Amino acid sequence: MTQDDAFAADLLRGHTDTIVLGVLRRSDRYGFEIYKAIRDATGGDHEIKEATLYATYRRLEKDGLVESYWGDETQGGRRKYYRITDAGRAVYRGNVAAWVATRRIIDSLLDVKDAQ
Amino acid sequence: MNTDIHRLLDEAFARVDMTPDAQDLKEEIRANLVARVDELEASGVPSADAARRAIAELGDVRELLGEGDADAATGVPAKAESLQAAFLRHRVRPKPGFVVRVVVWSIALVVGLTLAVLGATGVLPLPLGPIIALLGVASTGLGLLVGDALAQETTTNHPMPSTRAGGYGLATFLALYGLGFGGLIALGTLPLWCCVFAALGVISSIILYAFLGATQTNRHKAWTRAGRETEIPNRFESEPETAARFGIYTAVIWLVTFAVIVVLVFTVGWWWAPLAFLAGLALMMLVLARMMYSPRKGG
Repeated sequence: MTQDDAFAADLLRGHTDTIVLGVLRRSDRYGFEIYKAIRDATGGDHEIKEATLYATYRRLEKDGLVESYWGDETQGGRRKYYRITDAGRAVYRGNVAAWVATRRIIDSLLDVKDAQ
Repeated sequence: MNTDIHRLLDEAFARVDMTPDAQDLKEEIRANLVARVDELEASGVPSADAARRAIAELGDVRELLGEGDADAATGVPAKAESLQAAFLRHRVRPKPGFVVRVVVWSIALVVGLTLAVLGATGVLPLPLGPIIALLGVASTGLGLLVGDALAQETTTNHPMPSTRAGGYGLATFLALYGLGFGGLIALGTLPLWCCVFAALGVISSIILYAFLGATQTNRHKAWTRAGRETEIPNRFESEPETAARFGIYTAVIWLVTFAVIVVLVFTVGWWWAPLAFLAGLALMMLVLARMMYSPRKGG
């Protein structure tokens, strides 16, 4: 992994909670679907590790931002689905607003328009 | 179907202490691994390799469980903070705009309801149309009050999404309008067939409330949830037998109270009945205090 990749992965990892909440916003998903949605969005370049995701699910559930329930699959093990709660939606909205504001500040501090 | 994955998963969890938590995680991982193996096989990886690769991607499972514990460990100092301090730190003041709106909705509710009642009872000479309109104003006021309040962030709760809050507001509006129609029929202002409207309002509001209640998810903030875990449990929760005893005592108190009320009504007159009611209530409160705060058995 190059220096650039490590920097990007670090940035991404800092927003794992919000990213997972964002993935769950549209519909309930189970672990692998969430993992795949993130991997596909990043083009497979800087994926968030599965271990990080399992820790994230536990933390989100403890804080009441997501709820989990077992699916009724008969083959290959039952899937643990996650559902976003009203609290989760509120936190997601707050984090997105904070991100948009921060992005603007960083863009202007790093003089991004000039660099492009 | 690939069965290697189950064997490899068992091996990975071989040295893990199988707490309910670990068992849960294992089952969750199992379904995810199966999906990942299917994906790898679909892309042309041989099935034995696919299973090994999926497990390898996972890393050490003990770490997965350990991370959660580390989280809990760092959570301890935060929990040590008293509820009072946490409350002050997370305090959310109501927005001035919301306070003003609440006053406006409340005025609409009170004025609409008062005028409608005065009109319906014949104190004010109001025709039927305006009475129903006033009832609508009162219902709208209450509906907006409920919806607006739920959509606000409070110290302990996150704001409810606006569509859901709107749903609760609508259900409240329908309930009050339906009940108001029922009231107008009871007062004889409206003919009996209008109970169709009353039933329509009340029943649709019940359906809406039931739907919203069944699909409601958590909206407490994380600090409130953490605080509730450390709270000393209620006496009735920790000692079910005390709760049962209290239930029986309460039933006995009220049975006796109603017997006394009946006796009083038939002997000395009905105006003594409230006295018996008050005595029953006072007795119940004394029993409640005695049950809740008496010294615990065995220290």
